[in-house]
Amino acid sequence: MTAVPAVSAGRRPMGGQQVAVALLLPIALINVVGFMLPIFNLARYSFNRATVGGGIENVLTLQNWTGLLGDPFYLQLILNSVFVSLGVTLCALILSYPIALYLHRASGSWRTFLTVLVISPLLTSAVVRTYGWIAILAEEGPVVSAIRGMGLTPPPLMFNINGVFIGLTEILMPYMILALLAGFGRLDPRVEEAARTLGATPWQSFRRVILPLTAPGIALGCLLCFVLAVSSFITPKLMGGGRVFLLATEIYDQAIVTLNWPLASTLSILVLVIFGAALVAYSAVLKRLD
Amino acid sequence: MMVERAMAAEAALGTPEGPDHLVLSEVGMTFGTLDVIPSLSLSVRRGEMVAFLGPSGCGKTTTLRMIAGLLDPTRGRISVGGRDITHLPVHDRDMGMVFQSYALFPHMTVAQNVAFGLEMRRMAKVEIRARVERALAMVQLGHLAGRKPKALSGGQQQRVALARALVVEPSILLLDEPLSNLDAKLRDEMRVQIRSLQQQSGITAVFVTHDQVEALSMCDRIVVMRGGHVEQYGTPNEIYERPATPFVASFVGRTNRLSGRVDPSGRLLIEGRPVAAEGRLPEGAVEVLVRPHRMSLRAASEEPPAGLNSLPGVLTGATFVGDLIQATVRIGAGEITVEQLTRRRSGLPEPGSAVTVAWEAGDTMVYPEGRA
Repeated sequence: MTAVPAVSAGRRPMGGQQVAVALLLPIALINVVGFMLPIFNLARYSFNRATVGGGIENVLTLQNWTGLLGDPFYLQLILNSVFVSLGVTLCALILSYPIALYLHRASGSWRTFLTVLVISPLLTSAVVRTYGWIAILAEEGPVVSAIRGMGLTPPPLMFNINGVFIGLTEILMPYMILALLAGFGRLDPRVEEAARTLGATPWQSFRRVILPLTAPGIALGCLLCFVLAVSSFITPKLMGGGRVFLLATEIYDQAIVTLNWPLASTLSILVLVIFGAALVAYSAVLKRLD
Repeated sequence: MMVERAMAAEAALGTPEGPDHLVLSEVGMTFGTLDVIPSLSLSVRRGEMVAFLGPSGCGKTTTLRMIAGLLDPTRGRISVGGRDITHLPVHDRDMGMVFQSYALFPHMTVAQNVAFGLEMRRMAKVEIRARVERALAMVQLGHLAGRKPKALSGGQQQRVALARALVVEPSILLLDEPLSNLDAKLRDEMRVQIRSLQQQSGITAVFVTHDQVEALSMCDRIVVMRGGHVEQYGTPNEIYERPATPFVASFVGRTNRLSGRVDPSGRLLIEGRPVAAEGRLPEGAVEVLVRPHRMSLRAASEEPPAGLNSLPGVLTGATFVGDLIQATVRIGAGEITVEQLTRRRSGLPEPGSAVTVAWEAGDTMVYPEGRA
């Protein structure tokens, strides 16, 4: 250990840590400038006062917050948003789970084909798909006609909460399927077979083995869909026909129609708080699963 | 060396002579247009451990999965103890299976893994606890009952898988390459442990492997498979000493191939020289197989040993591997390997010199040419 080679005394290459910092710097900067600062701005607006004509008066006030939390309309709006989003998430989960499980088990070109089918709706914009649903569910559309044809009275499907529910569920399903698939990593077909050879019926094997092993995927999919549902506004706006009030549509109305930016900011921050709560719930679930 | 020791052990233990327990009759499996198993018939006696041995793609795992019920055979019939189980669902078959990847339930503890099969059988909680404890003690894992599988080593996971399969006291134990993911030392230990657990419980077992040492050392009988066919079914000793086909001879143990012919008078000739063999010989062109370690080598100048087959050749190379010398000898157009135990003062002739290769008549295995 006495003779240290002279070579190492010269210039040393950058250490691993320096490389890491150098690589992380650009994205950190973009995040600060493009995300953190606007959020900070939003938070600041929520403590400013709106003036007539869309102006923002730079004073520190709690009136947006107290007004919002004291108004039953907004409390109802928040509850509506959360429950509709939870319901849509649950429906998307129930409809997507079998598809994801089938995809997980499929192999080869069949699997590739099916995956492309799942992703393909994402290639068209939500606006186009929403108009598609409006055509399908409209008063003289195929669904209503079919129900009438059976001699039944169709429920109102369009321009109310039903339409929003159906449209949102379908639009979020690709995300749910992809998230489920990403979370199905631990599900090894051999483990299912082991359960079956040990005497588990298909249902028991699903309950005791498949479901617990896919739980991380379920949690991930639900988090993603819930967040997307709470923040989606095109579909509720178009399919709700102005009669369905959710947080996202209200933010749009306040910011673009009423030009009350401080209130829109306050509602936006509220949405962020809901996301935070969802994230906390998600990590609590993950912790319990491990 | 391994092989010989295994044979000695097998001879000492003898094989169970029970009635047939598991019977496959003309079982076939077709995937799409691919006939993986054309038609397979075999039976396993009660309490016997049988190896399905063969190269990958020979149909051994497919056959095992059909027995387990994880694959539905296209044709034929499978029965256990006289009862037809061909189309019985997996969960009603009462078989214990150990998978190559162990397939432990990652979200359950070791104890929960072992208890699973008992819970499926709706056993009382107290009884389950007692049995799980016993099963874990049997594989020396009682102290790890509360751990999750990922916190265990490969060998420990293997033992949990074994305990999980055995605790339900299945009618048949199925093992799918259970040792292939273990390192060499652990594999030796587990070989002994699996075999002794199987013998203690007297359970009928089917063991799928591509490793001849595992098959020879652990099992009462061996089914050598190729291309969905049974090449030979017999005790390890029969498989090794009297291989039915050249394929079996070269797959189980190593072997040298020489070309010869049997003339109308029934004499076997190699390179024009008469060679003695036992049994009836097929007439015409033949393949002659002799195991390298059953051959010996001496300088051409020495008197060839009396009573042995001998052929002249040229020594082309020799490798010293400690307890063995592996010599390559050119005989006619072909080249063979001769293995000799080393002795302190015995040297080999110089490479390039003329030598005589000798072996006993009983070690000559003769097959008609072209039977592969």
